Amino acid sequence: MEVPRRPQPSFMLALPKPASSMSAMGAVEKVTKKGPMKEKLERTDDQVGQGKRNSEEETFESGVSVFVEASADSSELVDTSTARTNSRLPSQDSFSEESSISEERLAEEAKEAKKKSEEEAAAAKERAAQRQLLAIEELVQSERNYLRMLQLSTVTIRSNLQKLQPPLANLDSMFLYIEEVIDVSGRLLSLLDQKQVKPGDPHFLETLCNSFLSLSSDIEAAYKEYLANYNQVTVIENGYKQKEALWNEIVKVIKASAPEVNATSLSFFLVMPVQRIARYPLLLQTIQKHTDPTHPAYPLLEQTAHTSIALNCRINEYKRFREVADKYKKTETLTIKDKINRLNSHSIAKKTARFSQHFKHETGIAAKLVDEEFDALEGFFYVLENGILELLENVETYLNHLQAFLACKTEEFDFDMDGEKAPICYKEITTALRQWILPTFEKRMRTLIHKPLCALRDLLVGPRNLIRKRLDKLLDYELIEAKSNLSYEEQAVANTYRTMNTLLLNELPQFNGLALQMIWSMLGTFSCLHKDLASDMEQLFQSFAQQLPHSSVHPAAFWEWAESAVLEGARRLQTLCQSVQDSLNSPVVQPLSPSSQRRLKQLTDKHGSGKIYQVMTTVVGSRDLDLNLVKGELVAIISEADTRGDKRRWLVDAGGRRGYVPNSKLIRYHQPAEDPPPSPHLTLPEGMSGVRRHSYTPQSQPLTITRQPCFQVLAAYDFTARGNHEVSVRAGEPVRVLEPHDKRGNPEWSLVEAGDGQRGYVPSNYLAMMPTGTGPSSSYYPYC
Amino acid sequence: MSWIPFKIGQPKKQIVSKTVERDFEREYDKLQKLEDQTKKLHKDMKKSTEADLAMSKAAVKISADLLSNPLCEQDQAFLESMTALDTAMRRMDAFNQEKVNQIQKTVIDPLKKYSGVFPSLNMAVKRREQALQDYKRLQSKVEKYEEKEKTGPVMVKLHQAREELRPVKEDFEAKNKQLLDEMPKFYHSRIDYFQPSFEALIRAQASLEHVIGRPSVVIVKLQQRVILKKSRPPAAGISLRQTPASMAIHTPLR
Repeated sequence: MEVPRRPQPSFMLALPKPASSMSAMGAVEKVTKKGPMKEKLERTDDQVGQGKRNSEEETFESGVSVFVEASADSSELVDTSTARTNSRLPSQDSFSEESSISEERLAEEAKEAKKKSEEEAAAAKERAAQRQLLAIEELVQSERNYLRMLQLSTVTIRSNLQKLQPPLANLDSMFLYIEEVIDVSGRLLSLLDQKQVKPGDPHFLETLCNSFLSLSSDIEAAYKEYLANYNQVTVIENGYKQKEALWNEIVKVIKASAPEVNATSLSFFLVMPVQRIARYPLLLQTIQKHTDPTHPAYPLLEQTAHTSIALNCRINEYKRFREVADKYKKTETLTIKDKINRLNSHSIAKKTARFSQHFKHETGIAAKLVDEEFDALEGFFYVLENGILELLENVETYLNHLQAFLACKTEEFDFDMDGEKAPICYKEITTALRQWILPTFEKRMRTLIHKPLCALRDLLVGPRNLIRKRLDKLLDYELIEAKSNLSYEEQAVANTYRTMNTLLLNELPQFNGLALQMIWSMLGTFSCLHKDLASDMEQLFQSFAQQLPHSSVHPAAFWEWAESAVLEGARRLQTLCQSVQDSLNSPVVQPLSPSSQRRLKQLTDKHGSGKIYQVMTTVVGSRDLDLNLVKGELVAIISEADTRGDKRRWLVDAGGRRGYVPNSKLIRYHQPAEDPPPSPHLTLPEGMSGVRRHSYTPQSQPLTITRQPCFQVLAAYDFTARGNHEVSVRAGEPVRVLEPHDKRGNPEWSLVEAGDGQRGYVPSNYLAMMPTGTGPSSSYYPYC
Repeated sequence: MSWIPFKIGQPKKQIVSKTVERDFEREYDKLQKLEDQTKKLHKDMKKSTEADLAMSKAAVKISADLLSNPLCEQDQAFLESMTALDTAMRRMDAFNQEKVNQIQKTVIDPLKKYSGVFPSLNMAVKRREQALQDYKRLQSKVEKYEEKEKTGPVMVKLHQAREELRPVKEDFEAKNKQLLDEMPKFYHSRIDYFQPSFEALIRAQASLEHVIGRPSVVIVKLQQRVILKKSRPPAAGISLRQTPASMAIHTPLR
């Protein structure tokens, strides 16, 4: 029978060979049914005692100091008693099978050898086989029992404890890694059960070893976390013990939940994995001791035993690393006072030594101990750290903007447009978006990206502190490195450095890799979230877009339409607005009092109707040459600026008095329509009338009439120029009136431009006006 | 002298009929509400588009910062996927920008223009109010003269006052009529005016979302491919079950 070998050379390091003192025996395993009951009992007790002693030693070695002897005793007792009662039935069946196999050989041997020695040898073999069987059975049974106890503690006791009021603090951290331990133990047992072989079968040993070996890495992973956390458990339990009433309550619950065992504390159960992992090598070694080296599963068994020992060693090593890491990775937040209090000669000396060493490095006096691998890892770590911090910051900004976006309640408007499709659709869309899609997106973003990132950032602290501490320790170490013989303390320093260095070298790559992977998956999630969001939104919008009147239009055409529609709307709005403004903002036309009418006539005659302004509010002059005017008074403006060029003060003629008035108080006076006959320059644009021409100079800006005048001015009679200021016109010739008065404002003369472009004065009463569009035959109106 | 004994108790003659005043108030209230809503929507729209833009800019920054991180130099696969992410984010940003531009053109600007009409409307209403005040004042003046004994000077003053009243009254009536006419028209105009805006608003997001959807699908695929490729030979053979000691999280003692 070939023993399947598993490639596990790494586990076979420098381990002490298990003491297999059993002498070589025949390959035959002869088992008789009549096993002396008494002997069996004694033997089991023996083994149990031995196992217990060994396990005690083992646990002390591995530094697990908590070992309650009383509880261990009781558990052992339970173990063995159940093992005894359960083992009888299956053993009978398997023994009968085996006995039939070995009958032939037995017959041959019987022929060759003589009775007495044979019987002795057979008895010895029988005893050995018996012992082996018992050892195997013990392993299996105690495993079952152990699993049952663990389950009892995690399920029944835990749930009962959870019911306690007030709830226990940190109860969950007491049971932190026990689930994994239960899981791996359960898997081990189920592997054994699957093979359907009974403990007496020689294959059983092989199955057992294979199961154990295949699970060994899982066992290590599960137990090392549990063991590393076990200190925590005791700390918490001691915390509970501080409070007498609470502790009594807990003990009562435990006793009520598990009446069959005499448990008095939680750690009675929780210490079990600690004991169990240390017991595996002992149990395996016991089996090995009672197994014939020629047994087909013997090498496998030996390997298993080694593995179990290596397992324990590695767990211990891990625990030591964890302790070092825990010691140095935490950041203390100390006040300056605390820091000063902490200073003592020892710490000052240490710090100074480190500083001087560091100084030597920097100045190049002493060579630095360079570890390229570590430096690369460290560099990568810092890059990673930077990236993570930056990413976190950006994600936070993003979330803030998202929040700002969510705060804009764009759907909460009321245009009273209930009958319209588009606004209703928009409202529905935005409501769905703001209350359902985006909040979901935000929540996912927070839980899937922001929270992990924050956790990752917090995790960065540990390695960062360790790296810093490693530098400190490195400096210490360099000082003593050269020395040949080290004192105890120096040894400790060197050990700490080595431990930390190894720890970092082992775990920084893991950390870096994990962190990088986390970032990676987070970014994957990020884009996934965006994709989901986009598809959600698309679905939403598409479903509504179908309902809109222009849904079938091609996008480009749609945008053209939308823009033109918007422009059109704006234009209509503009006209509406204009009409409102024009008609409503025009001032009330008050009929003029007889005196004002006289004034108006006088001013119009003198300055022309375009210059007439009305005073909007009563003006009280505050400066020299200012006029006091009453509301509603009419004035004619002479100049749109004062002598210093101040455009805000206008020089006005108030019917004789002249002076300055702030232009803001003046408003152009529109004569009622039925008042004096309209003159052509009423239609002049406003800018034109503003320019007061004091003299006719060729370089002055030529007047242009932008709008078609509604009246055409004609010369009514022939006029012959008497000088170069005047211009000759013939009757019926159309002329353009440039100014209806002369330079001094005398309206008897008008400045006109004749048909041939000549400019000059003609007497105003020679001119007549006629509505445009009608023929020259229609009636003439006198011009002035 | 008045011979009507209950004259004092009689209410003053109503210049504007109650129904007209009520109609006016109702229309004006509607307009004022519309003004509030328009302003609010304009503000919200502006803020939301700004936040939207800022959001996509922040997304771009996330990917751009990662792309410029030295990590990318060391790891080709990382660089590849970051580039893909960055491209997608930039694309999204560009589309977002376009969307916001369109919304600006077809929604925010019209909203702004629309709310720009209200000041002149309010002004018109104020003018009407002023005209009404003038009208009331002159009316009461006329009434005062009417109540006086009809002597010569009083008749002259009454005539003068009536002359004064006539244009004011006409002015008020014209303004009142126009406003009563224009306000509902203006109020009604919102439907035609905003219809294209809302449609554009929906359309802008619908069409752009459609375009954004595709690149992000591409990036996810790429990401997954790269992650698969990456997770097989990780830097130091880590499975997620094993957590380094320095990383293990302790639940803190409370």
